[in-house]
Amino acid sequence: MIELEIDGKKVEAEPGNMIIQVADAMGVYIPRFCYHKKLSIAANCRMCLVEVEKIGKPVPACATPISQGMRVFTKSEKALAAQRAVMEFLLINHPLDCPICDQGGECELQDLALGYGDDLSRYTEGKRAVDDENLGSLIATDMTRCIHCTRCVRFGTEVAGMRELGTVWRGEHMEIKTFVGKSLTSEVSGNIIDLCPVGALTSKPYRYTARAWELQQRYTIAPHDCLGSHLNVHVRRNEVMRVVPRESEAINETWLSDRDRFSYTGLKSEDRLNQPMIKQSGHWQSVSWEVALEYMLEALKKVIAVQGPEQAAGIISPSATLEESYLFQRLLRGLGCPNIDHRLRQIDFADQDSMPLYPGLKVKIADLEQQRAVLIIGANVRQEQPLLALRLRKANLKGAQIFCINPIDYQVNFNLNQKLICHPTLLPEMLAGIIKAILVKQAIEAPTTIAEQLKSIQVTEQQQAIAEALSVNQPSTILLGAIAQQHPQAATLRSLASLLAELTGASVNLLTEGANTAGAWLAGAVPHRGAVGLTQDKLGQTIAELFAEPRKAYVLFNVEPAQDCANPKQVTKALQQADLVVALTPYNTPYLQQHADVLLPIAHHAETSGTYVNAEGEWQSFAAVVSAPEQVKPGWKVLRVLGNLADLADFNYTASTEIRDELQGMLANHSLKVAKQVQPRINLAYTKHPLTRITEWPMYRVDGLVRRALPLQQAASHDSVGIRINSKMIEQLQLAAGGLATVEQAGESVTLPVILDERIPQGCALIAGGFAETEVLAESFGAITIHV
Amino acid sequence: MMPLTSEWLGVNEKIMNKLKHFFKSFLLWELLVGLKLTGRYLFSKKITVQFPEEETPRSARFRGLLALRRYPNGEERCIACKLCEAVCPALAITIEAEPRADGSRRTTKYEVDFFKCIYCGFCEESCPVDSIVATSQMHYHFEKRGENIFTKEKLLAVGDKYEKEIAANRTKDSAYR
Amino acid sequence: MTNVCYRTLQFDEPWTLEAYESVGGYQVLRRIMQEKTPCDQIINELKEASLRGRGGAGFPTGVKWSFMTSASQGAKYVVCNADESEPGTCKDRDILRYNPHQLIEGMIIAGYAMGCTSGYIYIRGEFTEPFARVETALQQAKAAGLVGSNILESGFDFQLETAIGAGAYICGEETALLNSLEGKKGFPRFKPPFPANVGLYGRPTTVNNVETLASVPVILEKGAKWFLELGKPNNGGTKIFSVTGHVNKPGNYEVPLGIPFKELLELAGGVRNGNKLKAVIPGGSSMPVLPAEIIMETDMDYDSLMKAGSMLGTAAVIVMDETTCMVKALECISKFYMEESCGQCTPCREGTGWLHRVIHRIENGQGKPEDLDNLVRVAKNIEGRTICALGEAAAWPVGAFMKHFRDEFAYHIQHKKCLVG
Repeated sequence: MIELEIDGKKVEAEPGNMIIQVADAMGVYIPRFCYHKKLSIAANCRMCLVEVEKIGKPVPACATPISQGMRVFTKSEKALAAQRAVMEFLLINHPLDCPICDQGGECELQDLALGYGDDLSRYTEGKRAVDDENLGSLIATDMTRCIHCTRCVRFGTEVAGMRELGTVWRGEHMEIKTFVGKSLTSEVSGNIIDLCPVGALTSKPYRYTARAWELQQRYTIAPHDCLGSHLNVHVRRNEVMRVVPRESEAINETWLSDRDRFSYTGLKSEDRLNQPMIKQSGHWQSVSWEVALEYMLEALKKVIAVQGPEQAAGIISPSATLEESYLFQRLLRGLGCPNIDHRLRQIDFADQDSMPLYPGLKVKIADLEQQRAVLIIGANVRQEQPLLALRLRKANLKGAQIFCINPIDYQVNFNLNQKLICHPTLLPEMLAGIIKAILVKQAIEAPTTIAEQLKSIQVTEQQQAIAEALSVNQPSTILLGAIAQQHPQAATLRSLASLLAELTGASVNLLTEGANTAGAWLAGAVPHRGAVGLTQDKLGQTIAELFAEPRKAYVLFNVEPAQDCANPKQVTKALQQADLVVALTPYNTPYLQQHADVLLPIAHHAETSGTYVNAEGEWQSFAAVVSAPEQVKPGWKVLRVLGNLADLADFNYTASTEIRDELQGMLANHSLKVAKQVQPRINLAYTKHPLTRITEWPMYRVDGLVRRALPLQQAASHDSVGIRINSKMIEQLQLAAGGLATVEQAGESVTLPVILDERIPQGCALIAGGFAETEVLAESFGAITIHV
Repeated sequence: MMPLTSEWLGVNEKIMNKLKHFFKSFLLWELLVGLKLTGRYLFSKKITVQFPEEETPRSARFRGLLALRRYPNGEERCIACKLCEAVCPALAITIEAEPRADGSRRTTKYEVDFFKCIYCGFCEESCPVDSIVATSQMHYHFEKRGENIFTKEKLLAVGDKYEKEIAANRTKDSAYR
Repeated sequence: MTNVCYRTLQFDEPWTLEAYESVGGYQVLRRIMQEKTPCDQIINELKEASLRGRGGAGFPTGVKWSFMTSASQGAKYVVCNADESEPGTCKDRDILRYNPHQLIEGMIIAGYAMGCTSGYIYIRGEFTEPFARVETALQQAKAAGLVGSNILESGFDFQLETAIGAGAYICGEETALLNSLEGKKGFPRFKPPFPANVGLYGRPTTVNNVETLASVPVILEKGAKWFLELGKPNNGGTKIFSVTGHVNKPGNYEVPLGIPFKELLELAGGVRNGNKLKAVIPGGSSMPVLPAEIIMETDMDYDSLMKAGSMLGTAAVIVMDETTCMVKALECISKFYMEESCGQCTPCREGTGWLHRVIHRIENGQGKPEDLDNLVRVAKNIEGRTICALGEAAAWPVGAFMKHFRDEFAYHIQHKKCLVG
């Protein structure tokens, strides 16, 4: 520890700290623009100049390391003179357009100009004007306002790992520009809005719509990925105006992904369902809640009574809150129906009995930075969990080795030491190769379950290197992403990963779908386990079975069946033949109009209180930030009333917190004993189709809300729907890149544009899910044919 | 000789006053004094204003009905900075804004509730573009509930109607701003 | 006259290896390689010779080198700053052109003394001819086994390479030079850390001027005492003065430090056309100007000039006679600094343009009386508040011109025309 003095106050700090860090910690504010605690030090704005005893010139507090006995004066005459001088220089070329600037009212330059600026400009020369950049649909630019602090540039190169912005020209002509005049493609680009200390970079969807002083700040949790980033939602007159990150070192640091930041723009979609509706003899009628609920319950009870409880099924979104999931399964189980599932996109459930209490991360999100080796299996990390990718990048910069096994050569924002890109059906084999490499190297006999299967596998040098790195570099981590979990052999992949983890000492981590997969498992929204993993007398069937063998009644909770589920064709068919389809949904879509019988308007996550359990098991509760419009009600209240109407016991909750507390109490009194997997379900055998469809849900197509967020859709125009296929395959199938082609799957066909994409392996085509255009297609990794 | 005591003087004075009073009332003296004043005003310049036919002159700083101004080229001045909304002590102003097709910052809604407005003129003080101004108009009324809320169109119309006067008043006052 | 850096000038082709060896070139290197002279001894010799950096700042070279010896193990670099771009300066160009081998020998010795493994000669972008000469000389030296692995069978390895800039003044600033050498934008780095700790590619690095490095072999050959006695105490050795401007014989003059300005002016043939001397910038355009009456009484060395209110800088002596308009002169200088500011830090980016615009206005008859105070204030506000010294370089001339020639500026503002014609 070093002792120094700042403004006469003695303070102790670790050597290596900069003056500004010590001052911040003790609450002494030093003005700054370019310094940001999460970015490298640039010392270019010169606003933080302070006086240090025995040093002639004023020194920048952000770049001057502390030393023993240092005496710093942040408000001495000399320091203030320097700060005022810098402020004058900053202002001479800064436009006086605060009244039309969105940053006005929350602008660091404006705030500091009040304290350090003069009331009159002594600069009478012409001011600089700079051309604006088009950075796409998310970020608006007014580059004349730029003060060249380079925070945005440093964010891109250091944090996001994408050098999209840079400084060009020099002297007073210096400009912040994209290198080749294209828009930003980074999935975390919105953070530069927060970083920009002036109004040069502002939010485009929010542009000119509100003022900082009109907004109320309310706290909630992000609803799109399994990290549960902390959000501050800014509300005006019961309308969400924008979303900014709330600092949380453990989860999102000071950042936010664009998906979490801009998805609020989908809240005001035109197809919002505002009234309960029922379909009678083919016609939709708006009805009161009482009528709708009675009608729905009667119809459901009838199906269960007449057709049997196995003829009903409940499907709930993995982004539904913990409370909603819990009440949903209690309602259905209370009515006698055990068929409940939330795993919309999964196909393989062979290992569901050996799953832990909930799938997720074994490692804390923040601890990912400390990993020394990471193996990513079947994951597009940047798109699935953008902020987790930033943690991996940090680990990578600290020296961690990162490897991946993927069917698509995804772009990542860190260095991959090895990447194994293979046909999706070969994913298990690739992983098995790594296991074999370790077994051979350590001369361990292979477990009987796979010994035979391993024999035929050739170990490559790459696999050997991965095996070596995972066992030598500790701590090490295996991450299974969406593709691994949606894979037809997901159980095998999970088992192999566990085996590999056992052999190397790595931890197995699942990057789950939606915001609350962990919560859904805890709440019992799975067919084989009740809340907190309690065993059930009556076991339900998995979502795959529920659609493969059509049922008579379906209750859908915040699900857009054809865009959210693994096999849209099958889902549509099942819904078509059902006697009763009840949809609790925020949206009134043509699809639901066609297939549903009852539509119950439920609130978005912003309009309801609830809890999300993130992948590391953190229970994060939040209150509604705005009230729901018209007749729309929070999902948990609807379910509670349904429970009351059905005369189910203990359904008299008055607040969502009571439901959470009940679950927490149950969890405290119960511990799930998962039978240790004696025999890993490993089956490397596969059927190889001549042409396999790879399905992924692009970043901005994962749920109903983002699909309706127009700015995000525009930002992702390069991710548009189509047949993505490599040039060799295009030649082989005699297609034309840019032209149209017809995809056939399971008897259905759709015509889509052909998009040249060299990342796709041979024998495959990537046709994304989550689009209206691909609603007719069938299973995620099924056989397809393509012709012109 | 008797000393002139105060008592003696007092008695004398009383008698004199009574005499004076008697003659004054007898000769209508006070009426004449009063008529003198009347007569003076009868022939002097009149200061009574025949309201409402006539009006007293108003200061250029008079704060009456609010108006939104335009630039000479017809472009509305308001840039939706919302400073007037923020400064209004009576919360009489409501603004909503969004980018116009040409990219400029414009209001989509600018409403003043004249039941709330206290004519303090802070809105005009705060306006960076001299858009919202207090005109010298004070004769207006509302017949139905709802008319008290002036929309953007109405406010602009007021501005258009009195622009000459508004501009003249601003010029007059410009030396003191 | 004693030549140190221009030792080979008497030959027809002074840049060749033969020419250099004929004046005793590479003898010192051979001796050091043979004797394995301790590094401390070399550095002490330089300290005793009081060799000061010839690039502008005048930091004692021996002291600078001694920072490196204590630095950590692993790769260390010595870099020669041949990005000579201070207006008025052309001394290094002629060393590169006429005596490149002496620089190379100096580099190798520097590398040896500081335990460096590699060296770079960073040459200004516009120096095409000098670059070719150095490159050829380097190839010759490599062929002769003087540079590279196992130099002269001594077991000492030193790789030396040339690098060429892209013509930015700022890349003459040592940390900007390092960035440029690394292939990055030529932005100066904030100090600390100093290059001696974190320099090229994050390794300890010493950056020296061409003239400094070229002086080293001669000092070691003839001894510190000899070198010191050439000049004055604390201002040892000779110095090349690039005399330009209104003199009859402009050129590079290698003369002992401490030479009175009068004598230097005589060497350069006196003021042109017999005009009266008005002012002199003694150390390149960034140094404060001195009026005739002061400079004529001053000796040309680090300490005397400092006392007189200016600095030796790069010893580019810019002579201005009575026909010079000082407003125009300052306008030229301020324009240069505006153009060459890298734009990284605020005071310099915004301030240099402000200064130039005001001076430009005054020059064009649109000055206002308050401009004069404003100029001084703005210059003061830039000074000492920037990342690198370009801030000072832009501010000092303004301060000095305003100090000595304020009347001329005031005249310009009042009469909207030049005082001198």
